[in-house]
Amino acid sequence: MPMQYLKPIFMASALIGLSQWSITASAQNADATKLYNRSLAATCANCHGTNGIGVPEAGMPLINGYNSEQLLASLRAYKSGAREGTIMPQLAKGYTDEQLQTIANQLGKKQ
Amino acid sequence: MDRRHFLGQSAAGLGLLAGFSTQARASLQKAEIVVVGGGYGGATAAKYLRLLSNNTARVTLIEPNASFISCPMSNLVVGGSRTLSELTSPYDNLSKRHGIKIIQDSVASIEADQKTVKLASGKTLRYDKLVVSPGISMLMNSVEGLVQANKDGITLQAWKAGAETVALHKQVASMPDGGTFVLSIPEAPYRCPPGPYERACQVANYLKQHKSKSKVIILDANQDVTSKGGLFKKVWAEQYPGMIDYRPKHNVVGVDAKTKTVKLEVQDDVKGDVLNILPAMSAGEIAVKTGLANSNGRWVNVNYLNFESTARKDIHVLGDSIQVAPLMPKSGHMANQHAKVAAAAIVAELSGWEINPAPVLTNTCYSFVNTRDVVHVASVHQYNAAEKTFKTVPGSGGLSPEASALEGVYAWGWARNIWADSLG
Repeated sequence: MPMQYLKPIFMASALIGLSQWSITASAQNADATKLYNRSLAATCANCHGTNGIGVPEAGMPLINGYNSEQLLASLRAYKSGAREGTIMPQLAKGYTDEQLQTIANQLGKKQ
Repeated sequence: MDRRHFLGQSAAGLGLLAGFSTQARASLQKAEIVVVGGGYGGATAAKYLRLLSNNTARVTLIEPNASFISCPMSNLVVGGSRTLSELTSPYDNLSKRHGIKIIQDSVASIEADQKTVKLASGKTLRYDKLVVSPGISMLMNSVEGLVQANKDGITLQAWKAGAETVALHKQVASMPDGGTFVLSIPEAPYRCPPGPYERACQVANYLKQHKSKSKVIILDANQDVTSKGGLFKKVWAEQYPGMIDYRPKHNVVGVDAKTKTVKLEVQDDVKGDVLNILPAMSAGEIAVKTGLANSNGRWVNVNYLNFESTARKDIHVLGDSIQVAPLMPKSGHMANQHAKVAAAAIVAELSGWEINPAPVLTNTCYSFVNTRDVVHVASVHQYNAAEKTFKTVPGSGGLSPEASALEGVYAWGWARNIWADSLG
């Protein structure tokens, strides 16, 4: 189809699109936020498994038995220095408190 | 026009009429996403493109090898304490569990203008999004005589885990007692900064037990040990006294396979019984050939928010091939992390959402200093919007205080988990 015929269709669709956009924008933002949160929690997966489900008896402490509150308490303790460790105190200090909260929410065991 | 292509166009047309949201959803489901290379970067990208799209994205992975062999831990094979099969994982979980189409082939060329990939077998694939994770290429011509020495099987690199890794161990095992293992390191950046120093430990550990009069000479083009320097030097002095001769600022320029002599830019020649010469490295060959290596012709500049090449739209490059951000190592762990940021960004873009403005990466790297004890380096990298790069967070990250058996357990835990996360 030649471009000059497409143009009015595109204009019309853009208008319809704009109205749809405002309706669906909040839903899209919620989905996008969910995506960002999942990808943030995936920074832990190299050592603790995809979606926080680690390989059993592989040698790395498993985190999938903990709920969000327990995970967050642990991460905060690593960050503050209250809890000792090898790598975790060093990694926890690299995340903001809000990011640790997101990670704990994502990876915590759902009841 | 094939059926799939026709459907894609029709869906785009419908999307256009119905508005943005329909169009956006259609494009995630209809887009052809092709991943080139099934290493830590590519395999993870393929898997996370499926996971983060709730299994709606169509993903094809092109990888020439039948199975994945891990580079991390492969120095233990060079030292003879582990076998390659312990570091090998199948690819079939990616297809069985995650619905990824795997094509065992290599990419002959990428036609970025046409958005097609030509395979060695002659087949052509169309893509909407291409993820390229080809690892590194050895610049064999940067050391005179190295191409021939490698062809003759005399000087191996074993810097991509596989047959050469096993062959290098055989060379070490056949060395005479009192012989010399020469390991040369190119100027940074190169794949796996602490890898050569770990290899020196593994070879020395073998020699200590089996050929105790032997030596390891490290010829390092860099000013000093590039990673975990204090830890490695302590181990060399305490566990391998008199065995490891570390020579910084020694740039290797040539090798004579017949006389097993290494030629240096400044210093006198060095002779050895086994010569493990690591030449300078660049982005994987396909990235360079496609014109993606726009940083000194060696590495690929990317937008760190989505790992899209700055040279070509819709080609995302991961792992060792990229021009790194400050203090970002070329490691398998980092490639896996790049892949997750890129996968999330591709899913967001194809869904019509803003891509994550604040991605995070971590790195964890364990090195075995003998067959049991390990040292680590770790870092966290947050995206800095003002500088458009990743920066390490002050006060985070760091090194082991000393080598320990506990970290040896964690190192295997790391390996088994990252293999499962990338391929399982």
